[in-house]
Amino acid sequence: MPKRFILLLIPLVLLPSPLWATDLQGLVRKVEQQYMGLSSKSRMEMSVRSEHWQRSLMMDSWSLGREYFLIRIIAPPKERGVTTLKADKEVWNYLPKVDRVIKVPPSMMGGAWMGSHITNDDLVKANKIDEEYSFSLLEETAEHLLIECLPQPDAAVVWGKVIYEIRLPQEVPGRVTYFDEEMIKVRELIFDEVQKIDDRFIPLRMTIQPTDKPDESTVIRYSELKFNTGIDQSFFSLRNLKR
Amino acid sequence: MIMLLHLAARNLWRNRRRTLLTLSAMVVSLALLTLSLGVFSGMLVDILSSTTEQYHGHLVITAEGYLDDRDMYKNFSADPALFSRLQQDQAVRGLSPRIRGFGLVSYQESSYPAELLGVRPEMEKSVTNLQTQLIAGVFPTDEDTEGAVLGSGLAKKLGVSPGDELVFVTQSADGSIGNDLLIVRGIFRTGHSGHDNSLVLVPQQWLQQVMALEGKLHEIALSVQYPLQAAEDAQRIATLLPAGLTATDWGVLLPEMREAIASFDVSRFIFVIILYFATGLGILNTIFMSVMERTREFGILMALGMRPFQIRLTVLLECLLLGLIGTALGLILGLLLSSYMALVGIDLSSWITPITYAGGTIQPRLTAIFEQRNFIDPAYMLLLVALLAGLLPARRAARLQPVAAIRED
Amino acid sequence: METLRLAWRNVWRNRRRTLITIIAMSFSLMLIQAFHNLSFGVYAQMVDSGVRSGSGHIAVYRGDYAVSRDDRLFWNLGKMTGLEDKIAKLEGIKAVLPRIYLPALAQSSRESRGILLTGIDPQAEDKINPLLKSIDAPSLLRSLDGRDALVGSRLLTELKLKVGNKFVVTAQGPEGELVSELLRIRGLVQSGIRDVDSSLVMVGRKRAAAMTGQPDAIHELAIILENPALEKKLIPVITKLLPPKSNLRAVSWELAMANLANAIKLDHASQKFIFFIIVLIVTIGVVNTLLMSVMERIREFGVILAVGATPGRLRATVMTEALLLGAVSMLFGNLLGTLATWYLVEIGIDLRDFIPETMEFGGVIFDPVMRAGWDVGYMLQMSAYVLLLSVIASLYPAAKAARIAPAVAMRHH
Repeated sequence: MPKRFILLLIPLVLLPSPLWATDLQGLVRKVEQQYMGLSSKSRMEMSVRSEHWQRSLMMDSWSLGREYFLIRIIAPPKERGVTTLKADKEVWNYLPKVDRVIKVPPSMMGGAWMGSHITNDDLVKANKIDEEYSFSLLEETAEHLLIECLPQPDAAVVWGKVIYEIRLPQEVPGRVTYFDEEMIKVRELIFDEVQKIDDRFIPLRMTIQPTDKPDESTVIRYSELKFNTGIDQSFFSLRNLKR
Repeated sequence: MIMLLHLAARNLWRNRRRTLLTLSAMVVSLALLTLSLGVFSGMLVDILSSTTEQYHGHLVITAEGYLDDRDMYKNFSADPALFSRLQQDQAVRGLSPRIRGFGLVSYQESSYPAELLGVRPEMEKSVTNLQTQLIAGVFPTDEDTEGAVLGSGLAKKLGVSPGDELVFVTQSADGSIGNDLLIVRGIFRTGHSGHDNSLVLVPQQWLQQVMALEGKLHEIALSVQYPLQAAEDAQRIATLLPAGLTATDWGVLLPEMREAIASFDVSRFIFVIILYFATGLGILNTIFMSVMERTREFGILMALGMRPFQIRLTVLLECLLLGLIGTALGLILGLLLSSYMALVGIDLSSWITPITYAGGTIQPRLTAIFEQRNFIDPAYMLLLVALLAGLLPARRAARLQPVAAIRED
Repeated sequence: METLRLAWRNVWRNRRRTLITIIAMSFSLMLIQAFHNLSFGVYAQMVDSGVRSGSGHIAVYRGDYAVSRDDRLFWNLGKMTGLEDKIAKLEGIKAVLPRIYLPALAQSSRESRGILLTGIDPQAEDKINPLLKSIDAPSLLRSLDGRDALVGSRLLTELKLKVGNKFVVTAQGPEGELVSELLRIRGLVQSGIRDVDSSLVMVGRKRAAAMTGQPDAIHELAIILENPALEKKLIPVITKLLPPKSNLRAVSWELAMANLANAIKLDHASQKFIFFIIVLIVTIGVVNTLLMSVMERIREFGVILAVGATPGRLRATVMTEALLLGAVSMLFGNLLGTLATWYLVEIGIDLRDFIPETMEFGGVIFDPVMRAGWDVGYMLQMSAYVLLLSVIASLYPAAKAARIAPAVAMRHH
């Protein structure tokens, strides 16, 4: 499959842009979806190093497509039970200490999720990359494809440009670099520790690295990951949030 | 000299009616002058107090740069030694350590952004006056570990009243989601929409725990004896502070207030001119005339051998005596009237509600404040006018030929 | 007539005293008039710039928005056919400004801040809204639904952006979901008021309204009048134009901007008190003067009474003298007051001369130059008081004059 795929790509480079742009779109979508699978359950470990704190969280996470996920904190004990639910464009947090479900309002969307370098907004906007950007191929080697993603003219996106690296032959994300409108690098997402699970190649570790704060980072690592767990949309409800 | 003084006094006494007339004019004018200056000062201090004592305090001590962005990490440790050093300063009247957090306050289905101020109620009361502006419930006590007072606008939006339980959610300093419960003890209304719609006063230790900032503070708010001198107090207090902390006065915290005071000063300046003018001319007239009409008398005295300069001196002494007595009585009357205004004042609340002006809320009433300059300056002016008023006619009288003077009427 | 001539001559017999009294009274009148006109002008300025960036002299809101500022109380201007035009066509209306105010989040690639997304009609607000004074709004916000935005100066810095950069605005949509829009910074707004400069984003109103799901939604129709005095008359007229079951209300700025209204009321009250005191002081001076003048003419009065004049006649004389003094003072005072007012209107007082440092004055909302206005009614009123005052001040001295016993009087001195 991989070899054939590469062979396909070479003629694609020679074709006029619209044609392989669409394909690139499809390719990016494919890669992203590969990462999410259809439904999944996983256990993740998140380590955050920032100017003001160092945190290590262990979480259970369920997802469905790109629209739904539920993440529950298992450790440390102080935060055990705190759960985040995202359904489409809305995010809720359940806080066991006060036994309350709080919907995240627009004013808090810019805030960090669980103290990491991921914002609440990132959660909502994640994996929409193929819808709001147009793509062109920057570079192609045996190891990777570098795709330049430029926001569509009216897309509600703060970035000036995103460069998406697809590692070959596994077709998994490698490095995703975010630039502001002046084309200055602002942050980088690095995917590694690729393993094969259930027939797919998945990078088990993602690192978020803000550019102007080299000492800070957020690292998320899957320790367990299962696909096609059989859960459906009804699982992602406010009721489940509280459990 | 003594003889002239004696003469002056007797002259005054001899023509009691004229003396009394002049005196009464001086006394009443001076009293009214000091009263209105006092009311003016009262207004200014009122505006200043209500602006600063509602929330900011007259002075705040913070880490450098905290006031620009209110970054929760720009905090400092609570140090009792610092507190006592501050309290010993002669100008400091009250001190309140505070910690500040921003987040969401939630009740049942609604959530709204809020600013939480973690305070120690008894100490906070020595600096601000929210406890006097409650429209429901009570102000928490020091022992209350989870009680809160919030603004009426916020309370209304949430639909809470005293006794209800609130949830507060924030980003705490260690990266986790800080969250905990509060019980509404009271609701305040200041008239300032910013505070009424988003301010919540909570127990200090409670907020420190929620924010994972145990033992830390963001500011120490101070109230001083003379708010108008807060800038000087800030400079002096800065020397008591450890490195990294600065003292900032209300003039910097509330620049709109400084604008308001500037225009207020202009008004006051104009008023003072009007008042001094009206008073001065009145006195001038009176004294002037009373000397003029004694030209004949002076002529006789000169004919009898009194020398011109003695005449002048006598007149001046009379004016001086008159001025001193008038000033003294005028000051006393002014003090009495000002005291009444200061203690009782005039209440306008039946037709004006509290006003938000330049970042604070003003209670609608008229009162007076005792400021040295409101008494000393007018007193000096009166004396000056009294002397000046006598100068010209005295000189004129002294320069006349006795016969001409006697013939004058 | 005879009395008048006599009184006039008497008045000028002691030129110095008369002059001093006239100067005192007329200057007091001048200062009172000038000062009142100054605060009259300053209030008018404050109200004027306040209503232009705020609620207008008259504002149309839904429900109790004027007080609660609940952003859910928006209404659809598009559904009220021609309301804007109908109001604009009324006599005395200077401008009708539709606006929408949405609390939202602004995000750049590095920072995010809470803002108030304000949707306006740039053409209508141009030349009227003091916040837009130093920029050409219609050329920057080129359409009602474009992505052009004007941003508060502090907000720009906090978001770490420059003019020309884009940013994203997120607000709560009609069903509670999050709605985001892309905007591009085309210019800055600098009001000098910290809160405004760090949270204001202005866009064409349809772009902002789109986030509510109704492109013609607004919160406020701010109506600016040619002459503020027309407000009372126009409110009922405008109310009649509003659709009956819409829960829309036309309110005065005094309700929508209660703070401003009350600040002015408080100032008025204290002014009255101070003026009362001034009047008292001036009265004392005048009474004194008149009394003195009676005292020194006791002998003369005695003679007059002895040769057959009635006490009443004497009283009349004294009072007429006072009246003349008052009249002259009034005329002179009015002249001076008019001149002073003219100066204060044309040139005014520049507060910047009184402030030690160069403070950012905002200039927009708070004009650093205090300018007077012509409150002619008040000036006439004060003139009348001066006359009244002189008459009242003369009562006691006149009474004293009338009670003179001729024989005793003639022996006086």
